[in-house]
Amino acid sequence: MAEFTNEELRAKILEYLNKVDKAKNKDIATAIGAVKRDVDKVINELAKEDILEFLYLGTSYVRIKGKE
Amino acid sequence: MSEKKRPLLEELKKGPWPSFVKEMEKSAHNSKTAELLDLLERSYEDKTGHWKHGGIVGVTGYGGGVIGRYTDLPEEFPEVREFHTMRVNQPSGWYYTSDALRTLCDIWEKHGSGLTNMHGATGDAILLGTTTEHLQPCFNDLSEAGFDLGGSGSNMRTPSCCAGPARCQNACIDTLDLCHNLTNTFQDYLHRPSFPYKFKIKISGCANDCVASIARADLSIIGTWRDAIRIDQEAVKEYAAQGYDIQGLVVDKCPSQACTYNAEIQEFTVDNPNCVRCMHCINKMPKALRIGKETGATILIGGKATIVQSAFLSWVIVPFMKLEKEDDYAELKDLIERIWEWWDENGKVRERVGELIYRKGMREFLKAVGLPPVPQMVKHPRANPYFFWWPDEIISSASGDAEAEAAAGAEVEK
Repeated sequence: MAEFTNEELRAKILEYLNKVDKAKNKDIATAIGAVKRDVDKVINELAKEDILEFLYLGTSYVRIKGKE
Repeated sequence: MSEKKRPLLEELKKGPWPSFVKEMEKSAHNSKTAELLDLLERSYEDKTGHWKHGGIVGVTGYGGGVIGRYTDLPEEFPEVREFHTMRVNQPSGWYYTSDALRTLCDIWEKHGSGLTNMHGATGDAILLGTTTEHLQPCFNDLSEAGFDLGGSGSNMRTPSCCAGPARCQNACIDTLDLCHNLTNTFQDYLHRPSFPYKFKIKISGCANDCVASIARADLSIIGTWRDAIRIDQEAVKEYAAQGYDIQGLVVDKCPSQACTYNAEIQEFTVDNPNCVRCMHCINKMPKALRIGKETGATILIGGKATIVQSAFLSWVIVPFMKLEKEDDYAELKDLIERIWEWWDENGKVRERVGELIYRKGMREFLKAVGLPPVPQMVKHPRANPYFFWWPDEIISSASGDAEAEAAAGAEVEK
């Protein structure tokens, strides 16, 4: 599992979410090779900054805000 | 709209019981509520519900607390085209001042339909019916008044607890403080969903389990004690003097046959090592019997209603944990985080932790979270559902051991 700085993790998460419609935190962590707990933390920060949003379709997902 | 136009709902106003239709009609001056009733009438006519949920509704930074509700007949019922639910995190034990409730209702009349069916299964105050446009302003007003949203989606749901030491002599733990503490500690897990599915924590002060945590919570925290039941023999004599059937109603009903009563000298005794702390005798003779002094909690896991697997009751994983306020419940919080880590790593989408344990086995779970197997973990009486030993822990190199194993095997086959 690679270690990333907070900034690197933010960039990787956003890069991944720009490629997909939506994803679960666990799938993002697996895709970018990061520790799930670190990914959770950065996603929470990005949500508080209104960059990401959550949606519920049987289970909860995250995506870039407004991305269709 | 006239009541005459809803003949099927009229049927639900008949009879001696309180009618939800009558209650909703009191709020029918609100056009949304009036149309909600019309839509319900239509559902009865069509014999199908006309609601759908999901999608993207929420407030900034939150992934829970708002449940998007839409009718599938928006053209015919435009007032309830969007009729979202907001869950408001209840205070521990549901203690509100009347002033706080007025404030909550005023906010909801301003931003929503004015309807509520407080409280929901997770304990939140449930506010029924608002539009996407009103969500953020409503949340802002709620925040201003000191309220916060509760959980929904794949996150930690709003923890709830019984009335606790504020109202009950049986509280073995401070359920109110613990619930408040966990809610504050795990804010991110409550508001921003990152789990495979929902995770509920419910806290009961004793085995009477007034919040039904054993049936409804993924993590049940149930107060108990590990020393002796306190007995006031003078009060026992008073029960006897009043003709109370101590033998029939208390002793004979003890599930572990740990109680005895000597009618000659009117003395009640408990075999404490064999008592399972079920609360039966204490409930039957509350003036004579009390919980012990050395109190803590039993921690159980996996309770849930039917979804992937059938309904489960929670399963004991820690028979007794001394919940220490002084160290901020560190032992419990550490355990919760280890459970989440394992579940998050191994759980499938929409798989509750109890279902994951069912799929992977209790042995895997215990090893992963670092808990030792103990006899109190049995799934139900006279059943032991898992092995205590890992293959690499068994040494059978000596021929004597092999012979002994063969003999043991033969014995089992008989």
